Order: sequence, then C-alpha cells, then structure tokens
Amino acid sequence: MLSNGSIIPSSLSVKDLLWQVQWDKEKCTLCGRCCAVCPVHAIELGVHRKRHVQIPSLAEIGPATSSSNVYQVYHGVRQRTDPAYACIGCAMCNLVCPNGAIIPLKSDEADKLRFHINRGGQPRRRGGRRNVPDSLGTLDRIKFIRISMLTDPALDAGRHEFELRTLLGRVLPPEENLKLYRENGWIPPVREIYPLIIGSMSFGALSPSMWEGLQMGVGYLNEELGMPVRMCTGEGGCPPRLLRSRFLKYTILQIASGYFGWDEIIHALPEMKEDPCAIEIKYGQGAKPGDGGLLMWYKVNKLIAAIRGVPSGVSLPSPPTHQTQYSIEESVAKMIQSMSMAWGFRVPVYPKISGTSTALSVLNNLTRNPYAAGLAIDGEDGGTGAAYSVSMDHMGHPIASNIRDCYLNLARIGKQNEVPLFAGGGVGKNGKIAANAAALIMLGASGVQVGKYMMQAAAGCLGSESDRCNICNIGQCPKGITSQDPRLYRRLDPEKVAERVVDIFLAFDTELKKIVAPLGRSTSLPIGMSDALAIDDKAASERLQIKYVV
Amino acid sequence: MERQKAISLSGFENGHRIESRILEERIQQAIEDGYRVLEIEAFGQHGIGGRLWKAGSDRLHIKISGAPGQRVGSLGFPNTLIEVLGPCSDDVGWLNGGADIVVHGHATNGVANGMAQGKVYVAGNIGARGMTMTKHNPRFAPPELWVLGSAGDYFAEFMAGGIAVVCGHVPQDPANVLGFRPCVGMVGGRIYFRGPHKGYSKGDAKLISIADRDWAWLADNLETYLAAIGRMDLYPEIANREQWQVLQARGPHEKYSKPRRSIESFHKDVWDSELGRGGLIGDLVDFDRSQVPLITTGFLRRYVPVWENKKFAAPCEASCPTGIPVHERWRLIREGRVDEAVDLALAYTPFPASVCGYLCPNLCMQGCTRQTERMIPVDITQLGKASIRAKLPELPPLTGKRIAVIGGGPSGISAAWQLRRQGHEAIVYDMRPELGGKISAMIPRSRIPDEVIEAEVARVKGVLPHVNLHQRLEKSDIEELREEFDFIVIASGTQKPRVLPIPGKEKLIPALNFLLMCKAGQAKVGKRVLIIGAGNVGCDAAAEAHRFGAEEILLIDIQEPLSFGKERKEAEAVGAKFRWPCFSKAVTDEGLELTTGEIIPADTIIISVGDVPELDFLPENIETERGFIKVNEHYQTSDPKFFAIGDTVKLGLLTDAIGAGRKAAQRIGEILSGKSLTPAGPRSKIDYARVKLEYFDPRLAGFDGIESCASQCSSCGTCRDCGICATICPESAISRQVLLNGNGFEMVVDPEKCIGCGFCAGACPCGVWDLVANESFD
Repeated sequence: MLSNGSIIPSSLSVKDLLWQVQWDKEKCTLCGRCCAVCPVHAIELGVHRKRHVQIPSLAEIGPATSSSNVYQVYHGVRQRTDPAYACIGCAMCNLVCPNGAIIPLKSDEADKLRFHINRGGQPRRRGGRRNVPDSLGTLDRIKFIRISMLTDPALDAGRHEFELRTLLGRVLPPEENLKLYRENGWIPPVREIYPLIIGSMSFGALSPSMWEGLQMGVGYLNEELGMPVRMCTGEGGCPPRLLRSRFLKYTILQIASGYFGWDEIIHALPEMKEDPCAIEIKYGQGAKPGDGGLLMWYKVNKLIAAIRGVPSGVSLPSPPTHQTQYSIEESVAKMIQSMSMAWGFRVPVYPKISGTSTALSVLNNLTRNPYAAGLAIDGEDGGTGAAYSVSMDHMGHPIASNIRDCYLNLARIGKQNEVPLFAGGGVGKNGKIAANAAALIMLGASGVQVGKYMMQAAAGCLGSESDRCNICNIGQCPKGITSQDPRLYRRLDPEKVAERVVDIFLAFDTELKKIVAPLGRSTSLPIGMSDALAIDDKAASERLQIKYVV
Repeated sequence: MERQKAISLSGFENGHRIESRILEERIQQAIEDGYRVLEIEAFGQHGIGGRLWKAGSDRLHIKISGAPGQRVGSLGFPNTLIEVLGPCSDDVGWLNGGADIVVHGHATNGVANGMAQGKVYVAGNIGARGMTMTKHNPRFAPPELWVLGSAGDYFAEFMAGGIAVVCGHVPQDPANVLGFRPCVGMVGGRIYFRGPHKGYSKGDAKLISIADRDWAWLADNLETYLAAIGRMDLYPEIANREQWQVLQARGPHEKYSKPRRSIESFHKDVWDSELGRGGLIGDLVDFDRSQVPLITTGFLRRYVPVWENKKFAAPCEASCPTGIPVHERWRLIREGRVDEAVDLALAYTPFPASVCGYLCPNLCMQGCTRQTERMIPVDITQLGKASIRAKLPELPPLTGKRIAVIGGGPSGISAAWQLRRQGHEAIVYDMRPELGGKISAMIPRSRIPDEVIEAEVARVKGVLPHVNLHQRLEKSDIEELREEFDFIVIASGTQKPRVLPIPGKEKLIPALNFLLMCKAGQAKVGKRVLIIGAGNVGCDAAAEAHRFGAEEILLIDIQEPLSFGKERKEAEAVGAKFRWPCFSKAVTDEGLELTTGEIIPADTIIISVGDVPELDFLPENIETERGFIKVNEHYQTSDPKFFAIGDTVKLGLLTDAIGAGRKAAQRIGEILSGKSLTPAGPRSKIDYARVKLEYFDPRLAGFDGIESCASQCSSCGTCRDCGICATICPESAISRQVLLNGNGFEMVVDPEKCIGCGFCAGACPCGVWDLVANESFD
C-alpha cells in the first residue's frame, strides 16, 4: 500500500493478517530465493528510505554550520498486505533462505483477514483442512483399556506373527454361503485387504507425481512386502496404463457424479489383465457434504483432459448429486447393479457417503441389497482439494458416532459380520493414525480410509489445522502435491513418495500391532471390540457405548 | 577327590508328596550340615538345585532321580553340578547364575530361559522357547546350552548373549533342528547347529561360516559335553565340521539392513517394466518429469520479469487532456537536450507557454506520482514558460486536402495546428481580428503577460491562414463550406451568456462581455460589485473588477462555489467575499433581491453562470443535446463531414479544448490518409504503486530551475537508464544492451540465470519491470 494512500474497508496492516512475515535485515543476503519460491507472492522486494538527521556538536551549530538530513536507501523483503496476496504461512521462504532471515509467524490474535476474503461477493474457498484444531478430540481421547494382563494369551507385537487383514465385500452367513457353494450359485466377491486404505484423491486433485508416488508405494507394499494395501482413485479417472496393468488389482476405482474418465475405463475393459479391487460409488465427501466440485477450465491441461476423457480447457463440474438418481433405493439398485455388471459381478461395489445423520437409512437399504459390498463413511474431518470454507468448517457429521451407530445397527439386525463399514475423515489428523484407526475399528469399522495423513506423511504437505497453507484449490501447492503445473509437481519425486508410503505402512503396522497385541488379537482385526475402549468423557462414553474412565 | 559326605533326600514321604518348600528347606539344611553330594528322589518339586551358596567354594553334586518339577537349577550357583537322571520339566536352568546342569533325557519348554552363567547339557531334544532372554555378563564366562537333538519352536527369542549348540542328533523334526521362527529379537550370542533349518529371523540374526577358532572351541567343548551326557560314542559322527553352521546376532547397525528391493529398483524394474517407459503417464506427456529444485531458472521459472518500457503512460501524460508526454520532456532535459524538450511540446499544443506555463491548472502536476507521497510535484510551469522559445519544425508540403475550422480559439487553433502538421490545409474562420479566442480576448492580464500570448499567437499565425469574418455565419454559409472543404471542424465556443429569467435581468452584465471589455481597457464598474456565480470565470471577473476600481466585491452562488486554483486565489487576494447559498429573485436599482427578501446592495451586477454555444448556423442534420453539439469519441458529429470540439461540445479547460482539437485532427488525418496515426493505441496510466519514490528526497521544498525539476521526475513507466535493476539482480542476470540500430538500449534478462524473484520489479524506480507468469507447459 502507499504509505500515504487512502484506505478502503479492506485495507489491512500486517498486524491484521493471520501470518506475519518476520524478516531480519541483518541476516538477509538479498538472494531473492524467498520471493522466487513464495507460492502466493506474499513477499516482494521493497525500497526503503532511511533518514539520518546529522547534528554536529550543538556548540558548532550556527549560521555557517547547521544540522542536516541525509537520506539513504536500502532494499529489503517486505510483506504485502493486500488480502489477495496474504501470506499463507507455508514457510517455503524459510526453507529456501540460506541465512534463516525470514519466517512467517502466526498472529497473536484472531486475524482480521478472515473478514475480507470474500471479494466480489465470493466467499472464501480453500483446500486442505478444517482449521478446527480440537475437532477430532474424540478419537484421540479414546483409550484402549482392556489389556491382557495374565489373562487371555498376552501377545507380543514384536514377536508374534500377525495377520492384520480385513474383508471388503459382502460376507454371506456360512449356511447361505455353503448352500450357494453347493448349488453353484453366485457368491458375492470378497477381497482380503489391509485395513488402512488410501482414500479417494483424484488424479487432478493430486499432482501426477503425488498420484504416481502413492500408487508406486502401494505396488511395492503388495509385491515386495506382501501387504495387500489398496488405494482408491477418487473421481478423476485412472491413467490408461494403470487400467491395463496388473497393478489395477491394488486399485479401487471411484465413480462419482461427474463420471470423469469412465469412458476411458470402459474402453480399457477388454484389455484389463486384472479386475480392480473394488468400485467405490461416491455420493458424498466429508469435507464438503452435499456439495459438488468444479475443476476450472484453466486447470484442465492436456494431461488431466486425457485422463478424464474431455477436451482440455473446459470446466469440469461434478454436481452435488448424481443426476439420474432420486432416492436411496434407486441409487443403490441402479449404480451397484451397473458397476457390478461391468466386471461380471466379480468386483465388490460399495457406496461412499458423507458422515450424516441419515447414514442409517442408507445402511439399512444396503443390508437388503445382496450386491452391496459395504459402506464407506467419510466424516466431517475429511480433507479436500477445494471447498467453500463454510462447508468445510460447519457441514457434516463426526465419524466416531456415525460409524458406531451404523455398526450397532448392523449388530441389531445380525449383519455386523456381513456388510463391512469403512471409516474416513480426519484419521490421523493429529498424527495418531494407528490409534485413530484402531479406535474406529473397535467402534465397528472394518477398515479406515486416509487421505490427508498420506499427503502430510508421504509428501510433506504443509497444511495444518491452524490454517497454514491450505491452498490446494489454487494449484500453487509449494510441495507439488496438488498442483498440475509441472514447474511445481516436478519438485516432488514419485520415488521418494513411494518410499514414504512404504515407511508409513510399515510403521502403522507396527503401531497397530502394539495396540492389538496387548488386547490379545493377532489374527483377526478387533472389529467392534468396543469393550476394549474407554474415554474420559461421560457423554461421549454414553453416546458411543464404551466405558467411561477418569 | 576327597571323599564327600553324601545324603539321600526323597520328595515323597509317608505316602504323600512333600511340598517344594519343605524339600527346599531340607536341601538347604543338608548343605548347612556339610553334605556335598545330594541324591534327590523328586516328585515334581519346583526349582531343585538352585540357590546353594551356603556351600561356599565347596563343589556340590546334586543327582535328581524321579520326576523333577519346573525350574530345576533355577538361580543356580557356580559351585553346583546338577544331574537329572531322566527327562526334565520346563525352564531348566531358569535365571541360572553359574550351575552346570546335565539332563540325561529330553527337556520341555523354556530351557535356559534368562540364563546368565553356567551350562545346561541336554541329552535329548528341548521344547519351545529354549535359550530365550539369555545374557552374557562380561564379568563371567558366557552361558552355554547344549542340546543333543533339536530345539523346539521360538528358539533363542530375545537371546542377548551366550552360546547355544544344537547337535541335531535324532531330532524331533528331521527337517528342522531349530524349530519354527527362531531368533526373533535376538541381539547377542551365537548358535552352533547341525542339520537343516526352516528359516530364522533374518532381521535379527545372520548365518556366518564357522571359523577355525570357532571350530576348535566347538570340537573341544563337544567332547566335554558328550562325556558329560555319556555319549562319547557319537563324537566321530557329530564332530564333522562340514555339517555345522553358525547363527550370530546382528549388531545394532546391521539390524535393518534386511535385504529389501530398493524403491529405485522397483520403479525401474517392476513399475516401469509393467507400465512402460515413463510410468503411469509416460504415454500422455512428452516432457521431462525429473525432479526440479525449488529455485529454478529458464523455462522452469514460475514467474519471469518483463521490461515493460513505455508500456504504460506516466500519470502526468495520462492526466493531461492534451496528452503531452511530460516525463519525456524531463528525460530530454536530464540528457542535456533542453531544446528538444522545449520543442517537443509543439507536437501536442500550439500554446505550451500560455497554457502549460500560466493558464492551465496543470492536471499533470495534480496527477504526478510524487503527490501520492506528499512530495511536491515536478513543476511543469517552469518548462511551460521556457517553451516560449520553442521552434516550429519544418512543416510538410500540403496534401491538397482542405479543412475549414470555424472558430479561432484554443480548440480550433489546436485542430488546425495539428492538421497543418499533417500536411493538410486548415483555414480558420473567426469573428475576431486576432486569433486566440478566450486566451487572447478574455483572460485577465494579471494571469499572463501579454507578450507571452502575443508570441504564441504570432507563432500560430505564421502557420495558419485566417479568414476574419465580419458577420455571424448563416446556415447557407455552412452549406458553401461543405461544398468547398473536405471536413469542417466547428470550434466556435460559447458565445451566448446564460442569464437568469428574473425581473430586471436586462441590468445584468454578462461576465463574458465584462471580461472582453476589461481586456480592451474599456470596462467601467461601481464601488460595490456583485457577481452572481462564483466559478472561475466569476473569480476572473472579480479580479478584473478590482483592477477597474471596485472596492467591495461579493460573489454569490446557489451552492458552495466550485472555483479553484489561481482564479480563486486571485479573487481572494483582491478581497472578494464569497457567499452561498443565495437564490436571486430580482434585479432592482438598489441591487439584487434574494428569494428571502434580502436585498444585497450593488452598483454593478455581473452574471457569471456560464455560457452556451450559439449554434444557429448549424445544419439541420447535426444533432445537438441540451444546447451542445453531440459527438462520438472522435469528436465527429452526426454528419460525418463535421467535427465539433471545445466548448461547443462540453465546457472545459483550455487543455481540454486543445486536446479535443488534437484528437479530432488525428481522426480526420486518419480518414484522409486511410491509416492509423496512433500505432501504439492509447496507453493506460501506470499503477502508482509500481513507482518507487523512496529514491528521492521527500523534504524537497522547491525546484531550482528545469534541471532540478528533471532530476526529481521519477520517469513513471519509462526506463531512466539508472541500472538499479542490473545491480539488484541477485543472479546478475540483467544487462543493458544497445539496440541493433544503435538507437537506444534495452534491459535484457538472461533466462538461464534469472530465478524469477522479481527484485528488478521491486527496485525499479520507474515501475518499468513487472513479474508475470511464465508461459504454460501445455
């Protein structure tokens, strides 16, 4: 801003911003890297005038000798205060600074910026996270209290052999299964998979480097380490080469209301070496329940266009609802049938919904549909590449009680071992991925889906619940995780991502064992084993029907 | 060996098994009583043979027959030799602290668990979890477990030291002498074994070849062992070096080096070989996707600097209705080309001295970037005044095209001037003997010296033919002109004063007339002068009225007066008062009566509420709007042959009129020549924020001549060749290059050095550099 300019209502000072860039003139070497790397141009070189009032000894001042002004100019890095260029706190400047001369610090009070990110009447949209630091306290606070102490076989996570697998697919009651087996009838397909699933993040939402890195890591875990880890494509199609490779079996293909890339998938059907692991039908996502998406035309580059089966440079709307489905009955019947048919009823097909108080209605309907392979529920803490802030912050249902209600309902009708539930949305958001996963499993989930955790742990996503970075939506991801700009995504090496994926799953596996072994489990997941759970919150314990401890 | 005192103890008494506690008490008592050989008939009692330190350094020999219970020899001491004459239950040698224990049969689970010193010799097989958690305390010899046959499952778990020897003679499972999953968590010690195995924890232990020294130790101790269990007969069969292998714990640094395929190899040999070269999207993109660093150069930069020299108009130029590139003139002065700077003005205006130097409110200065930082604007009036000596360039020969300009005021002269500079003949028709319109006829002398106007009018007269009309033009005259000329430009100004429809209005003196009279030296005023309408013309009238002897001058208006600038100052300087709101009702002999009934006494009442064009001569087909001629953006009227400019279109400043004349002439020239005369198109004004004023002294109070002005001009939007960009560039990527034609220079960025930091844009005083997105990959 002009130091002497007039103000408008949205004229802000650095103090009003959420992130304030601290720059140290003494340390700065003016190398320019911070300004070159800043994803949002929040900083720039400034010209600064320094005034020195020079006063010779007062005794000497007189008509001949007088005091004077000397101006000097120096250059420095300064923060822009225009809300359009507000610092996002990513600290890439700090990362590239050779002298540690610059760092963004968070405001010591609630920022004023939030009141001004609606220029042109356009409410704030962002990627990333909910910015509600305590929102997943419930899962983090759940304790595993039923430790085998001289009771049960006490297992040792480091010594015992574990078989931590879960089932994805409709599991028939034994008598029914045997009957169909004898009669050569159709038995629903069931996959035995690892209970930690990389949740749906589309090719498009993620950069090619990130997507390939995740897939490669999954491939490695399967083929080199024998861990049947699965990854869901999200709604953005699937690269043709993957469709025609054996790696497809590690992949869950997602279909959503935009149907992007599905004609490419159809064309690949005759050439597929393997069936995909499963088909996920997306009806909602936790980060923005009931809201759709729009990939703006300028982000639809040649690559994205090729994979999604559209011309480049057109906007791609993904409406909130599937256009030809008007009720649970119809959706479940139509979509599951169609998708099952595509692979000759050999591939499990299940819907994914946002966490919602109506989840039970969906679930009850699925229990009556023999083709429904399960239900995935994405809780309010799910992340996203782009959403309205209001949707992210205020829409949706926490996952813990939602999954619990569903599981208890299944138990009530005796189908708790038949329709697997998968929980997602904020799992591991505070880093406690195994504890969160185990809690959800013991509340009734057959497995969990993770997205953000993978981005953070596998690729170094800078997002946080303190509104750091969170610009996945504008394609400027400084780590190259969510950008389609090769200049950015080439910062990310898919091989390194794959390596991290492997690390994450191995570490998770150990942690999960550290939780389930003391509970005496080693060969089957403790799904719904809620007698092991407790929480130090009376109301939560009653709501979740787990023990209350203090 | 001296004869030892021996005793037999039984665990069975009076038809009952005695408690482990009782047997233990009796054993300890026997030791205290001096017995050194104990023969014990066991009935499942726990822990027999351990903890016998009371014998001191005496050797003890415990022979156990019958069925000992668990943990034989547990917490054993080095003085003790225990012989179990048959098979043995769990945990033999548990936490052994040095006892030698010989089991002449099989032993069940947990043999040597936690053993720290001593030896356990088993003459058969052992059960699960043998040799687990064993230690080697460096103060003592390592513990040893010898097994004749095979080990059970989970052998050597968490083994932390000691030596285990599994001889593989008649093993329980001939295909596997080490059992299921041995060595999990093993961190120390070694295992000699003979016979096949089915795997071990490779992360924890490694198979090594048996060294000479090891073999020597093994062969030697094997003899001792076989002798102890009474099976020396097996020595030749077992002592066969070729059949032995050694498992050793991995060191902490070897732990995680389990052979796993590298991701790099997986990528290359598995991933890409299944998917094809380039992996998942190798078939869809054709550019290199290898990793790039955070700071990049060349095509990989996200943003690139651009030297936008002269892309934007400086605010002075953009603010000037005449469109004079003021900053260019200052540049020429900085370069020492003062004459060129002076002459340049004539390309834009015929009145650079009169208007820029005296009469214009100088919108260029009002727009000057320096004003945004409360610094005094560069003073154009100094350069304007110097323009009195501007010389005309050589004029081009006439093209034969002829244009009639009706009106010899500022706009008409401007249009004719520009047309002549293009080579067209422009003839000015005017009612007055002198060209110049308001400039020469009405502006008070106090505002501008006569000789300045005279000099500039003379310069104009040297170029433009002038037809002095003696009567007002009629419609028929216009029709004649239409036939005779290619275009007609109407620049007749406002000739008709607006008056108020109030009683006594005939007594009012229109300001226009009054000023003309003043200029001619013929005005007469009373002592009390009232001026209705306190705009700038009213102010001029007030100043002139004072010159002609008025003592009390009052200007009234219906609203807060809009007058400003020099006119207002001069009126105030002569003591004129302002009053508003006042609504006139009638002019009386006493003065002016207001609608409130108040009478303002006055001797002379001048009305200055504006003038309107007199357009009776206008052909019917030329549209007007509220008394003014309607034109398009090129000042063309509804009759394409007619242009209209100046006050006939809209009341404005002199500079507005001059600018309109220039633009109309430009359009006419374009139509006549069939080509655009504004190749660059109108440039938009540069964003003030791009210009850096920090390089200038903010306390400068005034300018000392035109050189001083020129030095303080920030040259907004036009490179001033200061070289700061080249200096600030951290990568030394910017250089100054002389243009090929030798005429001028450009600042050039080396893309292979530039990192796109934008420092050049940040530092440029003129706002010439910008940082823009690099071109797309697609």
